[in-house]
Amino acid sequence: MASKEKRRIAVTGIGMVTPVGNTTEETWDALRAGKSGADQIASFDASGFSTMIGAEVKGFDREAAVPDKKLLKFASRSHAFALAAAAEALADAGIAPTEEDSHRWGLTVGAGMMSVAYDDLKVIHDYATDENGYFDADGILNPDFPGNPVNFCRWQSNAGLGLLTKQFGIRGYATSVHTACASGGQAIGSALKAMRRGQCDRMLAGGFDSMLNPIGISGFCLLGALSTDNDNPAGASRPFDKTRNGFVLGEGAGFLVLEDWDKARERGANIYAELAGDGNSLSCYRITDSPPDGNGPIQAIHQALGDAGVSVEEIDYINAHGTSTQMNDRSECAAMKAVFPDRIHDEIRVSSTKSSMGHLIAAAGAVEAAVCCLAIRDSMAPINANYGEPDPDCDVNLVVGEAKPGRIRAALSNSLGFGGSNSSLVFRNPEEVPA
Amino acid sequence: MKNASEKIVFTGSGIVCGAGATVSDVWNVLESGETAIGPYSKWDGENWPVKVAAEVKESNRDLVSDRKLHKTISRTDMFGIYAAEQAIADSAVLAYRDGLPEEEQDGFNDRTGLIVGSGGGNYTSNYDYLPLITEAKESLHAFGKELSNQVTPMWLLKNLPNNVLCHVGIRGQLKGTNACITNQCASGIMAVAESASAIWNGEADRIVAAGHDAPFEPEMVYYYHKLGLMSSRAPKPFDRERSGTVFGEGAASVVLEREEEAKERGAGIIGEFLGFGCCSEATGILDLRPDGDGVQRAIEQALNDAELSPSEIGMICAHGNGTPASDLTEAIGIREVFGEAIPPVTGFKWAYGHLIGASGIADLVMTLEALKRQMLPGIATLGEVDPVLGDFPVSNGVSQPKSRNALVICRGFGGMNVVLAVRV
Repeated sequence: MASKEKRRIAVTGIGMVTPVGNTTEETWDALRAGKSGADQIASFDASGFSTMIGAEVKGFDREAAVPDKKLLKFASRSHAFALAAAAEALADAGIAPTEEDSHRWGLTVGAGMMSVAYDDLKVIHDYATDENGYFDADGILNPDFPGNPVNFCRWQSNAGLGLLTKQFGIRGYATSVHTACASGGQAIGSALKAMRRGQCDRMLAGGFDSMLNPIGISGFCLLGALSTDNDNPAGASRPFDKTRNGFVLGEGAGFLVLEDWDKARERGANIYAELAGDGNSLSCYRITDSPPDGNGPIQAIHQALGDAGVSVEEIDYINAHGTSTQMNDRSECAAMKAVFPDRIHDEIRVSSTKSSMGHLIAAAGAVEAAVCCLAIRDSMAPINANYGEPDPDCDVNLVVGEAKPGRIRAALSNSLGFGGSNSSLVFRNPEEVPA
Repeated sequence: MKNASEKIVFTGSGIVCGAGATVSDVWNVLESGETAIGPYSKWDGENWPVKVAAEVKESNRDLVSDRKLHKTISRTDMFGIYAAEQAIADSAVLAYRDGLPEEEQDGFNDRTGLIVGSGGGNYTSNYDYLPLITEAKESLHAFGKELSNQVTPMWLLKNLPNNVLCHVGIRGQLKGTNACITNQCASGIMAVAESASAIWNGEADRIVAAGHDAPFEPEMVYYYHKLGLMSSRAPKPFDRERSGTVFGEGAASVVLEREEEAKERGAGIIGEFLGFGCCSEATGILDLRPDGDGVQRAIEQALNDAELSPSEIGMICAHGNGTPASDLTEAIGIREVFGEAIPPVTGFKWAYGHLIGASGIADLVMTLEALKRQMLPGIATLGEVDPVLGDFPVSNGVSQPKSRNALVICRGFGGMNVVLAVRV
């Protein structure tokens, strides 16, 4: 398909709340320096868990970030990140929905899975279990049961969508997706498609998640997916290093403001990049494992390049999914080598910024899409931190030691999720867009 | 919004809910006027303010024959896998693939998509941690230490919202474009809308769309009741005495493909996807605009997308959840578009309850059946139409659609409104 026939979409605003910074610029500074956001978990007593480390958002002031107190009451930790990051993105873009055009604004979000807070589950435990801890439904009918409908609303699958559309007055197309670790990337891809088919003129697109709580981290501990380098939190996430042993759980949110290219130009907006292409495939292999030969991710990357009309010669930076698990990193490298056989070993700069931020799960793809836009803006590839021992299966051109300068014509962001969903996005340098 | 030269058709459908496990079984319930809502068995409802629901009667083994899967997925996933595979079998699309030369099959798989609308999760899944909390005696340290002795290592995988996507994909090798939509009530119907859009956009040649949910569980009933959204008997949409909704559970699925290809391979064509509308009222999680704004705009978008005028619509399958505010604002929104010429309106939640994430796609499957039979089942529980709604064309008896075009309306938390336009 000829890309010139497609409606061109601009990225004009970025907002981030991450373990390495509560704003876009703070996050970007840390990623260029390869600074780690991981540490001993401080928000709860994790001393009994097999993994005691995580990359938490630090010093985040909910009240300051979400001025609407009524809305804040309904917001979970990850919703508050989302509201803050989305507000930053809109402020950065210098535009927001108005009475006249709110129906032409849309929203897509990659939302984390429904996981109940430990304290809420404790309430169920205290009222509605027998002596062995087995659930007894009648217990919640106890007149003293403090069940609060506000908590209930918070855990509905599209609660984040409801809060965001209300906060910013977005009245057009709105959707919420969850494909595990690919959610954020798929949300941005969905936005691209909705804009191309003319459903919206401007959109807010991103992801948010926080599983850094006792129940959230339990699921990953049980699976053995997390690094257990409890005495070395800053070095625990080491994507593509031979000694990698699992990911470091992070949390946060990332949002982009997307606009019709011509409309953005007309109003003199600052354009970070063109959101040029989306690719989306299902591996159909195993639920947690990635196919060793990259079959699945390969199709997603090819589709994204094709959709963008960008050749394999034009990609200068890849923000890899790079979780720091043995299987993922090997599979992703196999895919990158299959698609870019001639350039992946020395020309294309590759980094996984999860080495600094940890894995933001449903927010990861959105935050990393934003990183690609910043890399294009500053002609700078951020660091793949903590890399020491080479793995022959992962012999790609990693950005090691310090951020690597150099113009980026186009960048690729990969997100590969549990369940086998693969999302690839291509961003084009605005200078490469024909006038 | 679409490439008008290319028609998209439905070539297979499937459903499982309290009213049955095939389209014809559910149809028989709709036609009979006997609701499938009744006393439930999931827990003892004797002391509960709500004692009825529409539970799926089929066992896990009835739904998914592979017993290995039973330990690694949830009941809601069984519904989704069952309905999706029923639709796939009905369309014969994978049988067609298997008859292709082997070298063409990989390419076929890469162009076959799967989009699932998921309820997103259940409260009860977290109850697996309750015995551990007892064992740990309030200590989080002990909770962490004992975790792996008390809870299955597969806990997270069992409860992933995107399990149906993963397992239907693996079982059928559907490797193309995909998504898992977690947009509360709008999840399943949005899966259909996104599937049609993706085919129009050239991302896939055919897509299986499914929606599944199991909202019927104690905490959901407790909170819905506390919020004033629950009825203690089968709901009475648009009735002056309506008092709330009742939960069902289940899944539905359709296969969409380009008409040209469907004809080439000799597939049975159920109906045509014409267009859709989707918007938010920007009212937060629960609130609705009193003026029916979202319903009106979503209908207008769908008509515009389908290139239909209001007078060409022969029937409307309403969301009609039976709550006072939703039904009222839905009727207002419909009237804003159709004026005094509203086509016959019905809704099916009186029969199989509110399937939440699967509700819109289940209504779509049954609307296609109604169009095929040119017979519109009424709202059997309807006594007296709420006079506030004015002259609103709902009835408790069977009527006939005015044309072969229908709208399906789905509303949800987050101020969501989604409308599909279809034809048979």
